[in-house]
Amino acid sequence: MNISMTRIQAILVKDYKEFSRNYAVSIMVLMPLILAFLYNQSGTSSINAYFLPINITFSMVTTYIQCCLIAEEKEKNTLRSLMLSPASLGDILIGKSLFVLIVTIVVLAMSIFLVGYTPANLFVLSIALILSAVFYIALGTLCGLFAKSIMEGSIIVLPVVFIFSFGPLALTLATAYPILKIAEWLPSTQLLLLADALEGKYSITDVIIPLITIIIWSLLSWFFTAIIYKKRMVD
Amino acid sequence: MNTVIDVQHLKKTFNKETALQDVSFTIQKGEIFGFLGPSGSGKTTTIKILTAQTDKTAGSVLLFGQPASEMKQSQNRKRFGILTDNSGLYTRLSIEENLLLYSNLYQLPDSSVKEALDFVNLYADRKKKISQLSKGMIQRVTLARAIMHKPELLFLDEPTSALDPVNTQHIYNGLRKLNNMGTTIFLTTHDMGEAEILCDRVAFLHKGKIRAIGAPNDLKQEFGTDSITVELKNGTQEIIQNGSQDAEKLYQWMQANEVTRINTNEPTLGDIFMQITGSDLV
Repeated sequence: MNISMTRIQAILVKDYKEFSRNYAVSIMVLMPLILAFLYNQSGTSSINAYFLPINITFSMVTTYIQCCLIAEEKEKNTLRSLMLSPASLGDILIGKSLFVLIVTIVVLAMSIFLVGYTPANLFVLSIALILSAVFYIALGTLCGLFAKSIMEGSIIVLPVVFIFSFGPLALTLATAYPILKIAEWLPSTQLLLLADALEGKYSITDVIIPLITIIIWSLLSWFFTAIIYKKRMVD
Repeated sequence: MNTVIDVQHLKKTFNKETALQDVSFTIQKGEIFGFLGPSGSGKTTTIKILTAQTDKTAGSVLLFGQPASEMKQSQNRKRFGILTDNSGLYTRLSIEENLLLYSNLYQLPDSSVKEALDFVNLYADRKKKISQLSKGMIQRVTLARAIMHKPELLFLDEPTSALDPVNTQHIYNGLRKLNNMGTTIFLTTHDMGEAEILCDRVAFLHKGKIRAIGAPNDLKQEFGTDSITVELKNGTQEIIQNGSQDAEKLYQWMQANEVTRINTNEPTLGDIFMQITGSDLV
């Protein structure tokens, strides 16, 4: 694939300018920060409580913003113009994703600080968070490719937000409804299980399984994203 | 002359609908070629196939001697520019920011932005946001974006639709300048006047088929009627056919000093289109 750093940077800078002037979308970065602050003030100190703003960041910032950026490009026909330029599929997807990844990392760092969470193993958790961000960016791209407008994108993204943000909570009902055990394999649940394990005595399996699960989710979602992009962006 | 576009027996179907059928034409380097037809005749579909935005169903489509599908390659994208009625500009960004983005995508020096803006006479307005611009200005920005990398081939899809006469003239002047610099232009329009002003050759597209192709003057000769209209001092208009019998009539009127005006009955491209297809260009 033909990839150019100049073109990736051009798309990244353009997305930053557009995002900073689009208050309807950029205001979403405040949601996890406010939530994290309120949780901190309420005195909760469980891993589940810490991870609510983190999972909200992934769904309402990473997925939602990426979805809106792609959907708006489609709605205003700018994505087609980009595709008719020398920018390759890789340049466009990496440029757009890199911007959302940077926003995600900043908001995650601030949310973790505001909620008062001090991870026992910051290095492993950071890797898991970045891998999760890669997955949620793919999910946002996928939602954006299916949407014809920002409005439609905002609706399409809702079930995704619900499933992936609140998926771990479904496990608490798994004894009554065994089907909900499937939620254990969601990347959000795996991230939570990993963080929980890191707080105590953990084996290598406790770290590897969640990481591999998140990697598989990421690879699969990017694979489908690339297919859908090629399919939907050619008439 | 080098052939820039070579289309042979092109066919395109969407599900069971035929959009293009047995379309064949060639365009030589430096030509302005008009693809004329009413809305829905297949003009935009042809541009989409030529620029690798959609695949053909059958036939051969070559650009610069390569299959159209090769136009997806980055280095080939630099060889053509495209202007559509959907501007595809970022409305929250300024004119300059939009062009700077494309200057970086084409990996051009920053000076290319000024050159392009000067070309469309918009340098003074470069800080204005796209959302603040009139339709005519947006069209000029889109033209600046399409030509900033100095493409060998320029596709124009209804370039002056919904523009006022002043802006239309700006666009025409710009296109002539580009053509004089050697750019080949493929123009689609349903405006016959535009085609007559700009095009070296035109093709009439109707319901996905080419009905006639040639230089506007050649088509006028081929499809024109062999007559003139004479206006007489008594207010009547007489149609005179070419030939000795009617020549005698004209001679007598002129001798009697009865003639006030003589008009040729040359058909417009619109008349020819209607004559060939039996339908109007709307």
